[in-house]
Amino acid sequence: MASSSGAAEPPVNEVPADACSVSDESDSSNEEGWEDVEPEDESQPVIGLFSDTVFPDVRSMLKESKEKNNFDLLKIQKDLDLDFLDTIKLVNYVRSEVQAGNKTPDVSSKEKFADDAYLKPVLEDDAVLYSLDDIAEDQGEDAAPGSEAERKVLELQEDLERLQTQFSEYRLAVQKSMEDQLTKEDEKLEPGQNAKRPVKDRLEDADADYFSSYSYNTIHESMLKDAIRTDAYRDFVYENKHLFKDKVVLDVGCGTGILSMFCAKAGAKKVISVDNSNIIDRAREIVYDNGLGDVITCIRGKIEEVTLPVDQVDIIISEWMGYALLFEAMFDSVIYARDRYLAPGGLMVPSHATLRIAPFADPDFIASHVSFWNNVYGFKMTSMQLNIHDEALVRHVPTTSIPAESAVFLPLPLHTITVDELTFLKDFKVTLDKDIDALDGWAIWFDMFFMPSSESTVPENAVPSDMQKKGFVGFTTGPYGTETHWQQTICLIDHGKQEPRPFKKGQVLTGKIGYQKKEQGSRLLDIDVQWQADDATKGSQHWSLQ
Amino acid sequence: MSESEATNASGVITSSADRMVGAEHAEVRYFTSYDHHGIHEEMLKDDVRTRSYRDSIYQNPHIFKDKVVLDVGCGTGILSMFAARAGAKHVIGVDMSSIIEKAKQIVAVNGLSDKVTLLQGKMEEVVLPFPKVDIIISEWMGYFLLYESMLDTVLYARDTYLAPGGKIFPDKATMYVAAIEDGEYKDDKIGFWDNVYGFNYSPMKEIALTEPLVDTVEMKALVTEPCEIITFDLNTVTTADLAFKVPYQLTAHRPDFIHALIAWFDIEFSACHKPIRFSTGPHAKYTHWKQTVFYLRDVLTVEEGETVSGVLENRPNDKNKRDLDINISYKFEIDDPTRFAEGSCFYRMC
Repeated sequence: MASSSGAAEPPVNEVPADACSVSDESDSSNEEGWEDVEPEDESQPVIGLFSDTVFPDVRSMLKESKEKNNFDLLKIQKDLDLDFLDTIKLVNYVRSEVQAGNKTPDVSSKEKFADDAYLKPVLEDDAVLYSLDDIAEDQGEDAAPGSEAERKVLELQEDLERLQTQFSEYRLAVQKSMEDQLTKEDEKLEPGQNAKRPVKDRLEDADADYFSSYSYNTIHESMLKDAIRTDAYRDFVYENKHLFKDKVVLDVGCGTGILSMFCAKAGAKKVISVDNSNIIDRAREIVYDNGLGDVITCIRGKIEEVTLPVDQVDIIISEWMGYALLFEAMFDSVIYARDRYLAPGGLMVPSHATLRIAPFADPDFIASHVSFWNNVYGFKMTSMQLNIHDEALVRHVPTTSIPAESAVFLPLPLHTITVDELTFLKDFKVTLDKDIDALDGWAIWFDMFFMPSSESTVPENAVPSDMQKKGFVGFTTGPYGTETHWQQTICLIDHGKQEPRPFKKGQVLTGKIGYQKKEQGSRLLDIDVQWQADDATKGSQHWSLQ
Repeated sequence: MSESEATNASGVITSSADRMVGAEHAEVRYFTSYDHHGIHEEMLKDDVRTRSYRDSIYQNPHIFKDKVVLDVGCGTGILSMFAARAGAKHVIGVDMSSIIEKAKQIVAVNGLSDKVTLLQGKMEEVVLPFPKVDIIISEWMGYFLLYESMLDTVLYARDTYLAPGGKIFPDKATMYVAAIEDGEYKDDKIGFWDNVYGFNYSPMKEIALTEPLVDTVEMKALVTEPCEIITFDLNTVTTADLAFKVPYQLTAHRPDFIHALIAWFDIEFSACHKPIRFSTGPHAKYTHWKQTVFYLRDVLTVEEGETVSGVLENRPNDKNKRDLDINISYKFEIDDPTRFAEGSCFYRMC
């Protein structure tokens, strides 16, 4: 399921049996050690109709509304003979009236909230709307006893089925229309068409998405378990709570929502978490499970396309870094978000990055990954070597393979850098600190810094470990630090085209390194390096990271 | 990310670029990171695999001599070249992937172009230069034997092209299950989601429990004897047989806890003069297939000699035939009500 509701999962018979249940017809007797993927009795926090109070479930919320605000939803539903969609309109009508300051909305007749505009949820992910079939169920239980019990039960079952169908259709329609409406605020939802027509397809799509997203678990696990990465964000946020207190924060590419939750815990007033992948549905559940649903708003979509509930944010936090820093071009979206939403003087977290390059010399690596193809079980497979020199590799590089101190080739101040500056050709210079038999390639990595103000600067040649000693948060993805999931990027030199030759300790290599996106909007990255030794030996090569 | 996790992440998911649709940002870097020759390098360097094929072909030149051979899913062409060197009259290699361009160069460089014809395309669509073939060779096996496997393609090739009396290399695959103690790693993989930097990540935990894990299992983790669950004879098996429901029974050989079942497979080339076999089990030498781990929701406490039984059901997913839906039921039936356990878990490999 693409939706996050645990409270009111449509019954199993409404969706393909394999979509939401791990159960199996032949096996209904296993009480022990066996739970549904999304337990149906699990309650979802509900925000009060007349206050911001969060209730554990819809029943307790309705009870309080009845007692404190003299608003009996069930009675109104019955008196006005409201069907499922009417009830949804009622809830949204009440919410919008209350938001406008009217705590005693007029619910004397259906006409008051007949407008289809009230189909649009006032609150994102309003658990009340998702719980309406629970309410219906309750009613059914209340009404069932009596002389005509049997007939009544049948009737109610039919009603329930109808409501459930409507419900799942509605939920899917909402899911879709939320996205549409966020961008096209004026466009009115036409329930008659929108809720019916494409539902079946969407149901299937939604469930296909759900399961295809399963594989991503491993990815998010790897990232969360990358303690160098996650600790740095956590440390910065938790050690600088004063920066986050009562602030509005935007998390670009929020994934499972971990950074958003750090910010919420640190006292942020509001966190808006945007991600354009299925994981946003898990993030939403996780946020609720941790009681942070009132602070964090999860929005699915591209940052360039969604409409945020605020005009400005005080802080943008994002873990946007790719291999060789800029692979996959997500940084463009962060820059877009900064220019569009960040308040003057607002803070980027992290605030600075530096890209580094060093020579790479590792005869064992060359033997096992390049020379290997010279003789594979008695066959010559050298044509397999071609890609090795066309594509940059992502690997952990042992420090023994780095025969020189690395050089910074691009400092990136996140508060000011522009997208245009991400395509570049920069000079570098390194001095060998040992003899090598051959220059096998170039290694590239990056360092990240988290400074507490948009005015803060980082020395161009800054090293994370030095900054840490000064009390700042930062980390390196280089070979001298603890391994991260970014590893290092290796660009192997084709010895077939550029005859390998030894270099001596103390020799200086100067050169230029260029980054270029394969094409506009592409994730792929082209890397060019030209180099020259102090004895006039020259070389140049092109790689792509894909 | 440890080496094994890295292999898992890319290993299980890699070959399905189409699944990347809809994935954004952080996910993408993983899926796209694996370099294309990386997978072929890994397979060729899987010595158990490549040697078994080489031996089964080189030790049987009398079988290959002057025969027409079809290599289904030929990759870099290594098996085709083995067959050509073993004296085949002609070898046809078929692969959908663009790797076939490399394979053509490799075949040419090794002077075998006149013996080996390489065709890019689906088995169902390519036109072979021979109406029938005498031998089919294929390395079609996937994780859990059948995940993203090419077995159905091999069966299509058999039914369409194999001459009567023709041979298939390999021709037998047997699957096994056993139970393991794996408390520490289960805690790391599943329990991890209970507390992620102080937050409750249970929605991810539910997903994690449905994902079989491809990983190496140490022999000492085995709590029970293995149980053979099914054998496929490639000479006779049909596509329908690949969806199956089989019972298993596992007897503990020591008192211990059971956290998971594992599955693996053995492969046999029985058409050889002297049959050649290899195993991907925890007792055997490492292969890139590793083993497949299915975590149970229960932890079973077993004494030596006690038996856990159940049913393993496998079928291709209705919507995406490349995905597998696997259901494992288990029953630990003993008098001690504190240890009695029964349940069923659903898994999907996708």
